[in-house]
Amino acid sequence: MDNEQTLIQRAQKGDHTAFAALLDEHQHYVYNLALRVVKDENEALDLTQETFVRAWTALPNFRGQSQFRTWLYRIVTNLCYNRLPGLRRSLADLGDDVLPEIPEPENAPTNPAREFESNEIRAYLHHAINALDANYKLLVSLRYQDELSYDEIASLLNLPLGTVKTGLFRAKEKLRTALANYHMEEQWTIS
Amino acid sequence: MDDLLTPKEQNLIIEDALHSYPLATMPKGITGLVLARIRTEPAPRFKLTRNDFLLAVALSLVLGAILFGFRSLPPHTLIQIRIQGILLWQSFLVNYRWLVPLTSIMLGASLAGFVLVQLLRPQRLEQ
Repeated sequence: MDNEQTLIQRAQKGDHTAFAALLDEHQHYVYNLALRVVKDENEALDLTQETFVRAWTALPNFRGQSQFRTWLYRIVTNLCYNRLPGLRRSLADLGDDVLPEIPEPENAPTNPAREFESNEIRAYLHHAINALDANYKLLVSLRYQDELSYDEIASLLNLPLGTVKTGLFRAKEKLRTALANYHMEEQWTIS
Repeated sequence: MDDLLTPKEQNLIIEDALHSYPLATMPKGITGLVLARIRTEPAPRFKLTRNDFLLAVALSLVLGAILFGFRSLPPHTLIQIRIQGILLWQSFLVNYRWLVPLTSIMLGASLAGFVLVQLLRPQRLEQ
């Protein structure tokens, strides 16, 4: 099977089959990013379709300086900006005054009394992630779903690195609050 | 229970939730729809649009009108304009001699700066 670079080169020469292979490979990720931001399946599908049509049109300009998927994310993000006019401002308004150290994930805990794999807590937090504002969801999706580095996110969204870190830190703070609420509700139910 | 969790443990739970946040399943494939659209919208190549032709015609008309107007002037008016031009140029050379090299240097520096910025700039889509 052709590797991505070959497919891109063929698509740049107008090969529809090669572009279809690229489309099959990446549409799921593009769709998910759009869905996280716009929260509507039909709109996300529409954005995904538009992203690939624009990618096809702009493909001759793609010189491989970034990953193809990152390039697609840039297109879909710009489309999201057009669809949600307040999104760009809300990202910029995050500021970079808070520059916390974001700890990297560590090894799984060993204390069985604090079983963090609890499906219930996880589902509750997934619900909380889903309820985050579009700007936080965009950052969270790019970081954790698409596994981009902070630098890549900053470059993709044209934001200062500090703003990206601040946004992710605040998103986690919101989830921390949600976690506290979960435990409070649990205690209240028990009592 | 929350009191029993340290910030590090809370962080682990949150990290776990963020990493395990599931991808949504696509309601339907869009490959066919996109391909149908791009088949009618081929990759762009160099081509002249109607606007390019209109602009070219408009510029030609304006330039032609200026040239025609200039050539239609009476000879003594042309001579007067030429004399005034020479006087203006002489005055410029006497009073603002420094301006010519300065302008050249500034233009050169601006051009070099522009080229450097374009070369150093990362690839970006114009959306």
